[in-house]
Amino acid sequence: MTDTETAGRRPARADRQGRRPASGAESTVEPPSKRRRRLAPYFFVAPYALFLVGFGIAPALYGLYTSLFTDSLGAGTEFAPLGNWGEVLTDYRLVDSARNVATYVALWLPSMLMLIFAIALVLHARPGRFAAAMRFVYYIPGAITGSAAALLWLFMVSPQVSPFSPLLDLLGVENATEAVSANTPLILALMGIAIHAGGWILIVYAALAALPRDVLEAAVIDGASSWQVAMRVKLPMVSRYAALILIATFAAGTQVFVEPTVLATGVPGQISSTWSINQLAYYYATQQGDFGKAAALSLALLLVGLVVALLVIYRTKFYRIDRGLS
Amino acid sequence: MAVPATRHDHPPSRRAAESARRAAGRSLRLGFLLACAIFFGLPVTWLLLAATKTQTSIFSDHPLSVGSFGNIAQGWSNLLTFNDGELVGWIWNSLYYAGSSVVIAVFLSVPAGYALAKYDFAGRKALLVLTLIGMIIPTAALVLPLYLQMNALGLLGTPASVILPLAFYPFAVYLCYVYCTTSLPDSLLEAARVDGASEATLFFRIVLPLSKPVIGMIFFFSFVHAWTNFFLPFVMLSDDRTFNLQVGLMMLLQSTDAINAEGGFSALPIHQPEAALAALVAVAPVLVAFVFAQRYLTASDVSGAEKG
Repeated sequence: MTDTETAGRRPARADRQGRRPASGAESTVEPPSKRRRRLAPYFFVAPYALFLVGFGIAPALYGLYTSLFTDSLGAGTEFAPLGNWGEVLTDYRLVDSARNVATYVALWLPSMLMLIFAIALVLHARPGRFAAAMRFVYYIPGAITGSAAALLWLFMVSPQVSPFSPLLDLLGVENATEAVSANTPLILALMGIAIHAGGWILIVYAALAALPRDVLEAAVIDGASSWQVAMRVKLPMVSRYAALILIATFAAGTQVFVEPTVLATGVPGQISSTWSINQLAYYYATQQGDFGKAAALSLALLLVGLVVALLVIYRTKFYRIDRGLS
Repeated sequence: MAVPATRHDHPPSRRAAESARRAAGRSLRLGFLLACAIFFGLPVTWLLLAATKTQTSIFSDHPLSVGSFGNIAQGWSNLLTFNDGELVGWIWNSLYYAGSSVVIAVFLSVPAGYALAKYDFAGRKALLVLTLIGMIIPTAALVLPLYLQMNALGLLGTPASVILPLAFYPFAVYLCYVYCTTSLPDSLLEAARVDGASEATLFFRIVLPLSKPVIGMIFFFSFVHAWTNFFLPFVMLSDDRTFNLQVGLMMLLQSTDAINAEGGFSALPIHQPEAALAALVAVAPVLVAFVFAQRYLTASDVSGAEKG
């Protein structure tokens, strides 16, 4: 076999031509094997579907239901389809929260996505112990959560005690309060990258590691540089992972909650408790006890994430059933 | 690696330039990875060192100086002064809740992700979209309904009220779905069918072994999802002995002055170094799970299996 033949071989097409006729045979009486094949997926999804309805769809529908009722002390609950939604969407705090979140997502999402793919591709160019150690290091900040994270990040932005103090000095930052109040979205975006990138790096790396080796070897034998292999062969092959990451990170970004809450705990008084949209929803539920409004705002956030998700799915044919590798 | 002579017959000088270029590329890559390692690693290095310090040296000494290891033991016994060592019970609770929900989550999501990727059946698209909604819906929208649901079922305050909702992890279904569409060739499944394999045999004998990398990923991410979860146990559990580590630590640290000085009025010897140690205790199982999951990353090579 010559090099050009190896490189030009497209396994997907070869398989499609090779195997299709076997399954394409039609007959009037359904053979048992075919019936089993038709019924099998229902057995595979049934247990999950049960949980999906019980702990996903049913509570979500109940949330939708509560969002349609207003709850006032005198009148009791009252069906007012637009009451909560209208109140929430015209809340003066929402404008600020939405602007904060938009700034955060604009800073965080593109830089993190580029970093994830850059790191995963560079690591995959030379797999081994060093790459494994690096993946571990990149992941650790994501494992630190809750109140421990508040402590950690407070110290990171305090010039006197931070290991990043040379950097903070360079920015002319004198104390933690100043650092946070002047650069809130930037600090949150850096926090967000440190916390979230590692998990995705692991996923993209695993995806690259699972790619068929012969295709990558063929490209190398054909004289492609490692840059070309990464950009023209590896990236397109993990495009569905890119779609999944885009959908999940966009939703996570618009719903940012942990990072501002954590930073606000560490540096009191510098970040509003309704800094992000999701925090505002939480505020409705916990400070005002108004679950209708909390549900309405949460579902509005879901809707935004869903629109972007469906756009990505439509553009990338994410739901298409493929025959063969691709 | 053998390079075809016809295409790469460069004169020696160009070959030298080529190898210089490669060396430059290699050091560029190494520099990039190490710079990233500093960005991601420094905060955690600090946390690790903070646990070896005392309440005064954490402020006075250099951020990256090492304290004394005796301080770790001291810190641990200080943490145990809270409610007669309740911390240990929280760790067991966390392991119990996370462990059970992970097993259920893997059992649910692997077959579901595989079926969604490889079978065309009525309701497939609906299931995919509903799973998508489940994946990106804000927790705030689900917490109250779940609370009412658990209350109606009489499960409030029981481990089940935490374990069951945690076992529903739509992201795992999508991970498995994407893995199966990307790395599991149909030709292989068809070949097995032609050989007379039933759908169940196919799943257990071919799909599962070839899906080891993604099953490792699902184990890991659902474990992290369950281990770090705060909202569910916070809402469902009221007895502090049943708390998981996250909720327990929040209570512990908020009732002391460990996070900020105005926070609490407790006389317990729990300050910043203890909080750093508590953080390390909370992180350790996740890191163990990470090392474990890494071993499965390259456990199979589908292209080899396809030819065999």
